[in-house]
Amino acid sequence: MKISISVNGGAQEHDVEPRTLLVQYLREDCGLTGTKVGCDTSSCGACTVLFEGESVKSCTMLAAQADGGSVTTIEGLAAADGTLHPVQQAFHDKHGLQCGYCTAGMVMAAVGFLDENPTPSERDVREGLEGNLCRCTGYHNIVEAVLAAAETGAVSGGSK
Amino acid sequence: MRETIVGPFAGKFVGHAVRRVEDPRLLTGEGRYVDDVQLSGMLHAAFVRSPHAHAHIRNIEVAAARRSPGVVDIITGAEMETLVHPFIGMLALKGLYDPRFYALSSKRVRHVGDPVAIVIAESRAQAEDAIELVEVSYETIEAVANASDALDSRKPPLWDNRSNVLFDFANTYGEVDAAFAGADRVISHQFKEQRVSNQPMETRGIVVEIDPKSSAITVHAATQSAHMLKWVLALLSDRASIPASIKTLAINRDRVTRFAKSAKAILTAKPELKEPSPMMPAMVKQFRAEPSRFVDLQRAMLGLLAKSDNDRPEVLARDIGGAFGTKGSASREDLAVYAAARKLGRSVKWIEDRNEHLMGGGHSRDEIVDISMAVRNDGTLLGMKVSLTLDQGAYPAFPFGGSMFSQIIRVMFPGPYRVPVMQFNGKVVATNKGTLVAYRGPWAVETFVRERMFDMVARELGITAAEVRLRNIVTMAELPTPMITGPMLDVRMSAHRTLVDAIAIADYDNWPAAQLAARANGKILGLGIATFCEAAPGPPDFFEHSIPGSGALAGIEPAKIVLEADGMVAVITQQVPHGQGHETTLAQVAADQLGIPIEAIRVRYGDTKITPFAMMGTGGSRSAAMAGGVVTFAARELKERIVDIAADLMEASREDIVIEAGNVHVAGVPARGITLADIAVEARRRDQNAAPGEAIRVAQEFDGGEGGWTQATHACWVEVDLETGQVAIPRYVVVEDCGEIINPAIVDGQIRGGIAQGIGQVLYEKITYDDAGQFQTGTFMDYLIPTACEIPDIEIHHIETPSEIEANYRGVGEGGMVVAPAALTNAIENALAHLGVRISEPYLPPSKILELAGVIQTARSTAR
Repeated sequence: MKISISVNGGAQEHDVEPRTLLVQYLREDCGLTGTKVGCDTSSCGACTVLFEGESVKSCTMLAAQADGGSVTTIEGLAAADGTLHPVQQAFHDKHGLQCGYCTAGMVMAAVGFLDENPTPSERDVREGLEGNLCRCTGYHNIVEAVLAAAETGAVSGGSK
Repeated sequence: MRETIVGPFAGKFVGHAVRRVEDPRLLTGEGRYVDDVQLSGMLHAAFVRSPHAHAHIRNIEVAAARRSPGVVDIITGAEMETLVHPFIGMLALKGLYDPRFYALSSKRVRHVGDPVAIVIAESRAQAEDAIELVEVSYETIEAVANASDALDSRKPPLWDNRSNVLFDFANTYGEVDAAFAGADRVISHQFKEQRVSNQPMETRGIVVEIDPKSSAITVHAATQSAHMLKWVLALLSDRASIPASIKTLAINRDRVTRFAKSAKAILTAKPELKEPSPMMPAMVKQFRAEPSRFVDLQRAMLGLLAKSDNDRPEVLARDIGGAFGTKGSASREDLAVYAAARKLGRSVKWIEDRNEHLMGGGHSRDEIVDISMAVRNDGTLLGMKVSLTLDQGAYPAFPFGGSMFSQIIRVMFPGPYRVPVMQFNGKVVATNKGTLVAYRGPWAVETFVRERMFDMVARELGITAAEVRLRNIVTMAELPTPMITGPMLDVRMSAHRTLVDAIAIADYDNWPAAQLAARANGKILGLGIATFCEAAPGPPDFFEHSIPGSGALAGIEPAKIVLEADGMVAVITQQVPHGQGHETTLAQVAADQLGIPIEAIRVRYGDTKITPFAMMGTGGSRSAAMAGGVVTFAARELKERIVDIAADLMEASREDIVIEAGNVHVAGVPARGITLADIAVEARRRDQNAAPGEAIRVAQEFDGGEGGWTQATHACWVEVDLETGQVAIPRYVVVEDCGEIINPAIVDGQIRGGIAQGIGQVLYEKITYDDAGQFQTGTFMDYLIPTACEIPDIEIHHIETPSEIEANYRGVGEGGMVVAPAALTNAIENALAHLGVRISEPYLPPSKILELAGVIQTARSTAR
């Protein structure tokens, strides 16, 4: 089936099998491999992207369901001149990543979360990121990074 | 404790929380993990796996699957045995039977998930569709579902009608019986540690790329050791008969000559390798008992010798999504995918899914330990008797698995304590479970058992947990002193200091009163402490005490450091970082030696074409000491070479040349300095033989020097809710000494990450099989990984014991995970002690807490 999706602001049109998951579509058809597959059962959040500005797990959504909508992936987050998004910058500043495999999903989830709650408490951040697993960091610096990004006051909801 | 992360820094880099070099690409989706490799014309693999724990394979019917759309080939176990050699364990230990097995199983399956066929198709989805059409007829066999089954001689053997006890050993240190006879008390307990799993966020995976024109092989892999994977694949693939290999060699005599040359070079460089290996007697015994083992090994070795360069792969490991030990092995799947790609002459990709990774991607721990401590009434330890049973599942990890871990457990059991005598008996058993791999401190059961047991001894004797440790821990004044098992505890082994500091920070002496007061208010609180030391990398002879004969190969860390033609410096390491941040830390170390900014340094790794050979890769908390050491010394040599040229160019004496922030100048006149690019031009002018793009190349090897230990004490506070069984961790303190810290943010990150896994083990994680060996934890909804909500703030206090030793860096990768289960379990027992609770296993989900506290009846017994 033919679908057309706005991905990171650019129009994408592809003919896909109906069973294609959004994450497969992004990685294989669009060549955007920044979004990761971690668990296949929507438990880990490594595949989190923004759909219509809200964070979704792209392994739990068919590409067909995104037809006509807009998706932002980790590749679309930094400014055109390469300036990191405040959440990306905060992860860098706070050592919020080690192996980097959960990072795209974690950053996208944090962007979606801060859009809903721009002034969170530490507990809010922890609960807001509960759907994203990290096996390396023990979360401490991820939470610090999200709080620091919130403090910049510069976080807006991606493609919304 | 909040670290400051600094940006570009002009002065000294070591000791500062420099922001990571690898972050920008990983934060923007530009990292390149194995699943991101997409090649045109690449095929996809999926495995047909056993649904049974233990069964004979009576028939495999693949005709229907072959007709499925997109299917290119299906290779069953029987065909695979014509393509590859069996895995042959290289560890020759007295009393060890190491089974041989193939990449796919052809006659018998030995665990749920055991691969029996590989399907190659145009897409992964088509490969998975075809799997459904493969019909395998199984005849089930009674399962050996756990260690007690394995010890039961009535249960069917997994391997060749042998006992399921594959390795049985005993070591006696000193007059054990006499010490026990003279003790006031002998206190005994049985501990168990459940099977858990590393579960990095990235599963295993491999892409075997075959160049369609040259047929050169590039293996893109998520591996902790690129050279290990390269040589295992080269050794075990392209099975040829011995006469065929001899014929190939007769035609290609240059391959024999080249081998002889390189062997001679190695023996000249390392004359100690000429001595007969201490492993020899055991190896000869193995071969006598099983002549076919000798034949298999000769056949594989001859095949390797007969291979042309083009028939050996180069391995390329780029970004890796965590491993924690599980990617330190070459897996059966790796070899099967490689063999399929070789057979078809086409590139093949296999990415394991999470269900496969939980089933067969690597499990760990799974021990039973019986321990007796002989003590005086004042808590003085007079001796220990330890009996270990380690359940390594069906197929031993390759090249190293449970047998090796059992030896490190033995050597490490005394930890940083005075243990005058020790008896250690060990068994490694085979069961119908997944493969046991290294997981962040694969010897960690020694710390759990010893530190739990000290608490039990303290309770029995009516003294505190702090008192019993202080009475027995080796003080700084006693150093250096050898552990009863051999390795030397050197003068920097500061476990005693970490313990004393942690006791003070925890206000330990006032704890009983605080606990009672809280209980009066209805709060059930506990405090637990645990102390350890870990070989990071350990003293020079550490490996020899664990596995005699392994030291010569294991101990060496090579590195190259190159001033490139453009004035940049390349640090080329055999380390294969997968989250630890070596691109940053090794650059920090080199930058300080050279006096240049870290932006002028590129760390190169993971590519067997350019990295120096070593089998160890990244693991065992060794990188800081080993790679940090060799990079220090190699960078220093490069600086000498740079200074030589600079002195000539600037007509100054060598002693007056300074390099600061990349400016090479005569002391006092920085304005008239030159750059490394200028040096590179001159170096290339002088050395017409310099490789393209290179100006000065330095290669060094480092044996670890004094080596050394990392040590820590953890203090953990818990609050237990006796209505819900929930355990909260209001405070967690670490006092640790890993020597000089290269990057505090990275060190703290390693400690916190390890503790999170330790907390996960105790409160959430358990790989479960039922009594018939059926696997029960196949998703992240069954195997629970802690989230941000479950991991507390962790307070870290660093100690650095002063030392004259250069590059006094030691590893911290594993310690958090090793100590946390003991500290947390001790805290929970401390909280519930007034209810008479004694805890034997670091698996304490709410149901278990309520059961221990007598709030609910004993739950149905869950199989191990």
